[in-house]
Amino acid sequence: MDQLDSSVLADLESVVADPLAYVAAWKERTGRKAIASFPMNFPAELIHAAGALPVILQDDRSPITEGRSLLAEFYCGYTQSVVDQAARGRFDIFDGIVLSDHCVQLLGAVDVIREIRPTIPMHFGQFVGSLDERWADRQVRGEIDGLVAEIEAVVGAPVSEQALSDSIRLYNENRRLLREFYDLRRSGRARIAPSQMQTLVSSSLVMDVEEHSAILAGLLGRMTSTQDAPTDLVRIHLSGHFCHGPRPELLDTIEECGALVVDDDLYVGYRYISSDAQETGDPFDALAVWYRERNTSAPCPTRVQQSVDWDEYLVRTVRNSESLGVIVLMAKFCEPHMLYYPELRRTLEDKGIPLLLVETEHDGIPLESLRTRVETFVERIRRRAAAAELV
Amino acid sequence: MPVEVAEKPATENKFNRMSITSVAGKMAADYWEDIFTARERGKHIVWYNGSALNPVFQAAGLGWCHGEAFSARLAAQHLEVPAQQAGEEYGYLGELCSYSRTHLGCAVLTKRNLYDQSQSVVGEDDARELAAKLPAPDFFVNAYAGCSTGQQWDAMTYRVFDKKLPLFNVSLPMLWGNKPDSGYLVGEEFESASAYVAEQMKDMISFIESQTGTPFDWDALSENMTYIKRASELRLEAMALCAAAPTPATYWDWVASIAPINFMPANQALVDYFAGMKAEIEQRIRDGVPAVQNERYRFYFDGIMNWNKLGWLSRKFAEYDVAVIAGRYTHDAFWQEPDLIDPSDPLLGMAKNYLICPINSGLGVMKELLLRRIDEYGIDGIAFHSTRTCRVMTNPQQILARTAERERGTKSFFFEGDVADASFYRDDLLETRLIATLEAIDAQRVRAA
Repeated sequence: MDQLDSSVLADLESVVADPLAYVAAWKERTGRKAIASFPMNFPAELIHAAGALPVILQDDRSPITEGRSLLAEFYCGYTQSVVDQAARGRFDIFDGIVLSDHCVQLLGAVDVIREIRPTIPMHFGQFVGSLDERWADRQVRGEIDGLVAEIEAVVGAPVSEQALSDSIRLYNENRRLLREFYDLRRSGRARIAPSQMQTLVSSSLVMDVEEHSAILAGLLGRMTSTQDAPTDLVRIHLSGHFCHGPRPELLDTIEECGALVVDDDLYVGYRYISSDAQETGDPFDALAVWYRERNTSAPCPTRVQQSVDWDEYLVRTVRNSESLGVIVLMAKFCEPHMLYYPELRRTLEDKGIPLLLVETEHDGIPLESLRTRVETFVERIRRRAAAAELV
Repeated sequence: MPVEVAEKPATENKFNRMSITSVAGKMAADYWEDIFTARERGKHIVWYNGSALNPVFQAAGLGWCHGEAFSARLAAQHLEVPAQQAGEEYGYLGELCSYSRTHLGCAVLTKRNLYDQSQSVVGEDDARELAAKLPAPDFFVNAYAGCSTGQQWDAMTYRVFDKKLPLFNVSLPMLWGNKPDSGYLVGEEFESASAYVAEQMKDMISFIESQTGTPFDWDALSENMTYIKRASELRLEAMALCAAAPTPATYWDWVASIAPINFMPANQALVDYFAGMKAEIEQRIRDGVPAVQNERYRFYFDGIMNWNKLGWLSRKFAEYDVAVIAGRYTHDAFWQEPDLIDPSDPLLGMAKNYLICPINSGLGVMKELLLRRIDEYGIDGIAFHSTRTCRVMTNPQQILARTAERERGTKSFFFEGDVADASFYRDDLLETRLIATLEAIDAQRVRAA
């Protein structure tokens, strides 16, 4: 079984720990602009094709201070954090901010950011959330045009078809490389802790895509052999946690309890890299198709599509990875997740797949309490497996 | 400095409710009784959320059940708990929008009553009393402005019913204010969004035709919108009369009058209701009858209604000589721009009214409308209902409070509660903060004198 080169991983972890420092250094080094976007479905290729650095804004670990007087306390940790960061001037480094997702809390947060940071150009190209109707693709395509015009105005350079096609290829390659790590972990050929996997994906939200892909390729080439994972670990799928990543220590705690995380559909995880855009044809059209296909390759409760079921997807994924249970990580107050959760629970229970719900908060959760719950969950799965063998 | 307001108020009820609101209560009760038996009368049933599509449903001969309205009714009658318990047992968490949580709980119970009565999770008595009265849907329609949860909610109701019933979504874009010419009722963004929604509504009507097997009655829709337009005009005229001091009617009266304008049948009775409301207000002005005895403070209410506490809050504010006169929920919603409606060709005007829902605009428009109301009604203070599970209504409140203070010197306070879950209400905080705000207003008046 292989593992990741720790020194390279440490470099990526430093980017994840202070992404805005990376942005500042990149701007200094290149003399180019940086445009931030909000999760979860903005096509970074549009920004990259204009010659700017696309950065998906993430929460930071700082306690919420100035943001407390700007947003109600019952908003998710992500929105609380980004408002707080904006209030502290942390986002002033960006030349523009764009978004395409309609989430009630996210829009509230972004509206506040627009109010307190009026000099940062901001554009909301709302991609339709309901994908069943005949106008859905046309609507998304129209919003892409609007976003392109705004990005071009901020950067002062056009987004050509050729440049966008090139960007799509680069991002496809980056996603492909990241998926290789998933394949390695799923198949048992590599031991990649969930916090390490999160670092790989999270750094891709920030870094120049070519630089990041080069690092990933190097990491793949330098996987080092280590002892195989103990066979008594329980294979687990991590699910959910939209817009931002769970705390690394939470992920580590899960594996310390006898679990082996073999797959996920976390946003800062497989969900982010699940879909590629077509490399042929009109690249603007390709991104509209990409948006639609993301909901097929990793269904999301923020989208409404009658023929696509997150719960059924989860069952298929769990079976493919031979996971024995699912830990649902839910950011507290995340409404789409709260709405869909009962359907996940119903389907997984029907299929006999054990499920544990863990709510996360910006300020963290008591890890000892989490440890007890996960250990109990793992033990329950072991006993089920043992009982099944007896039968 | 005078601090009279800090004295414990008398317990007498100083709120003089409009008598016509009892008619609204009767109309609502009759409406729901009618819906409960609609299937027996051969009606197709649609469950819907968000925009007031009822004139379309009425023209199509449907029975229509508005999810939020039913949740609000249960909460206002303090009958929401069994539905919420059913939702909780199904898996909905307590921090989820309590409108949706309550309605989804009803869906769970309704579905179980339909297919498998043996699995009912709450007591059979509760099920019979509440959700069993809602006729099961034949299909769903969703057209929700501003709140993403609104659209996702019906997608979940669809799944609670095992994806066996058709669902149609009308997508209403947010009026975010991207363009330089964006503003209230103006700009390219508003016009293009309106046309986009009107186009979707045509598809929605085709969908309804396919469900009922009956051609849509466009003349009936025109007739319905004629009633709606007239009722809305009368409602706005009546509201405008409340610029008088003391005010003859309050925000609580307008809350009690939401049901007729939001989802009840468009007919002469609807027009008569708001004509009656206007007449009663005019009579009160002639007779010098105030809505709140000894009105000393004129307040604006921001946030969605706390339905569990409607009567309680009306008395609570009045006890402190506070007349709550207007609110975002009542005055910037529910066909508030009747001039946009052309009954002979109604879809575009309907789409525009749906889009200007007070949770569907960016802060620029919301600030503009708040300041307009402050000026229109001579507002001294604002009560912000920090609505625990209604994030969309609380989104802009901190900025609105700052804007009111900065632009008009208007004081405000926040209190915690919820739209349909009484457990989030904090009476002690409301009282303390209200008193502090009134003291601040008194001090402001002394300085200005």
